[in-house]
Amino acid sequence: MKKLLVIPFLCTCLISFGTAIPVGSTHAVKTIKQAIEKASHGDTLIIYPGVYREGNIVLEKRLTIIGKDYPVVDGENKYEIFTIHADHVTVSGLKFINTGVASINDLAAIKVLESNDLRVQNNKFENTFFGIYFANSTNCRVEGNELKSDAESEHQIGNGIHLWKCEHMTLDNNRISGHRDGIYFEFVTESLITNNYSEGNMRYGLHFMFSHNDEYRNNTFINNGAGVAVMYTKGVKMIGNTFEHNWGPSAYGLLLKDIRDSFVTGNIFKKNSVGIFMEGSSRIDFKENTFSENGYAVRLQASCDDNVFERNNFSANTFDLVTNGTLVLNTINHNYWDHYEGYDLNHDAVGDVPYRPVSLYGMVIEHMPSAVLLWRSFFVFLMDRAEKAVPAITPDNLKDNSPAMNPYDFHKAN
Amino acid sequence: MKKLTLTLILFVFISCSSNPEPLRYGKDICYSCKMTLVEKKFGAEIVTKKGKVYKFDDLNCVVGFYNSDYEAHENMEHILVTDFAHPGTLIAVQQAFFVKSSEVRTPMAGGIAAFGNKEDQATQNEKWKGTLLEWPDVIAEFK
Repeated sequence: MKKLLVIPFLCTCLISFGTAIPVGSTHAVKTIKQAIEKASHGDTLIIYPGVYREGNIVLEKRLTIIGKDYPVVDGENKYEIFTIHADHVTVSGLKFINTGVASINDLAAIKVLESNDLRVQNNKFENTFFGIYFANSTNCRVEGNELKSDAESEHQIGNGIHLWKCEHMTLDNNRISGHRDGIYFEFVTESLITNNYSEGNMRYGLHFMFSHNDEYRNNTFINNGAGVAVMYTKGVKMIGNTFEHNWGPSAYGLLLKDIRDSFVTGNIFKKNSVGIFMEGSSRIDFKENTFSENGYAVRLQASCDDNVFERNNFSANTFDLVTNGTLVLNTINHNYWDHYEGYDLNHDAVGDVPYRPVSLYGMVIEHMPSAVLLWRSFFVFLMDRAEKAVPAITPDNLKDNSPAMNPYDFHKAN
Repeated sequence: MKKLTLTLILFVFISCSSNPEPLRYGKDICYSCKMTLVEKKFGAEIVTKKGKVYKFDDLNCVVGFYNSDYEAHENMEHILVTDFAHPGTLIAVQQAFFVKSSEVRTPMAGGIAAFGNKEDQATQNEKWKGTLLEWPDVIAEFK
C-alpha cells in the first residue's frame, strides 16, 4: 500500500519541478514581459509588489504566475492586460487595474483564447472593461476573484466574467460588482457556477444564453439592474441561490425565457419587482423555493406548459401568481400561500378547499398596467371577493388543490 | 376657449404621430427577447402607423417579430436598424446594407450587422469576410 502511495507522490514532484523566476524592481528581472521571454514551459513567475505598466502582455507558454501581496498590473486605460493562449496556465494573486475601453474589441484584464486547464485564482480587478474573458476554452477554474468596476453608463462597460463557447468550466466564490453583466455565459455547456456573489451590476447579475446542462448553486444575486436572465437553454439546474432586491420596471429576480427540462429548487426570491418571469418555458420543476415580499412572486406567461410548482412557500407578495391567458397547462400543488383563507377540518395540515393564486385584479393589471393605480381601493377589493366566490375571468383550473396550512421549513433535516 | 380646443386637438395629433424614438440603451428592453438593450452598435425599432414603438436588441429579434403575425406588415410605418459604423443612428432597413459573419457578435447571436452605406459595409467586411445581404435576404435568414 505504501509503495502505491509513493508513486503518485513522486509523479507530482516531477511535474511541479520548474524554475521560479522572481520579478520586481529589486530583482534581476524587472518586468513581466522579460520574465515570460526568459521562462520555459512549467516555470513559475513570482511577481513582487510594485506597479507594472507593460501594455498588452501576451502569454503563450505554460507558466504559473503568482503575485506576492497583490502587485498592480496597470492597463493605463489603453490596453488589454493579459492575453493568454496556452494550456495549464495559472494566474493568481495579482491586482489588475484600468484596462482600455473599446467598442469593437472586448478588451479584458485577462483574456483566454482557445486554451485548456487554466486557473485564475484570487486576483483583484478594479475598473476593468471586461474582467475575465474566456473564449473556446475547456476545463478551467475561476475562483476567489474580486471584480469591481464603476458602471456609470452601461454600454461603456463590459461583463465581469465572460465566457463564450466553453465547456467544463468552474466558477467558484467570486465577487462581482459594477459590471454590465456580472457573469455572462453564451454557448457554455457542462459547467458549474457556485458560491458567487454578484451585486450592483448594471444589467444582469448572471446572464445565460444557449448554455445547456449547466448548474448554478448557492450564488447570491443582489440589487442588479434587471436581476438574472436564463434564456434559450435546456437542462439547467438552479439550486439554493438567493435572488434579492432586483427592483425596477423591467427587473426580475429570475427571467426564464425559452427554458426546457430544468430544475429550480431551494432558491430564495426576496424583494424583487417580479420573483420569476417566465415565457416560452416548459418542463421545469419549481420545488421548495421561498418567495417573499415580491411585487409579483411568479409571472407565468401563457406560452409556458408542463411546469410543476410544488412545496414552495409564498409569503407577503403583492401578487402570488399572474398569467395572461386562460388556458393553463401547469401543475400547482402542495404549496404554502399566506393569502390562503381556507380551513383544515380534518387537521391533516392540508387545506380542504383549493387556493386560487391568481387574483382578478392581477389579471386586469397584466392587460392594463396603468390600472395598478386603483390597487387597494375598496372597489378592487369587492371585485376580487366576487371573483373568488364565482370565478369568471381568472383561469378556472389554475388552482392549488392541496395548499399547505403551514409554511415549510426547508432547513430542517428530513 | 377656442385656444384650449386648438391645443387639445394639437395634442391629440402630436400623440398620434408615428415618429421613431431613439433607442435608450440601458433602459429599453427588447420586445422579443426581453433583454435590456446595451450594445450601441446593434438595435432595431418598428413604429406602427398608430405610433406604437417596438424596440429590439438584435436583427433576429426584429425579423422574428416581423415574420410573426403579431402586427400586419402594412401597419408598419418604419422599420429601422442601428448603423454599426455609427452607433446610435437608426436607418431604414430597406436602405441598409448588411453583413452576415460568425465574427459579428450580436446580443442574441443573430450574427448580422447593418450599415448605412456600401463603403462602411465594404470596409468592415474586409475584416469579417462574411456574406453581404440586403433586407429581403435578412428576412429569409431568420424564417
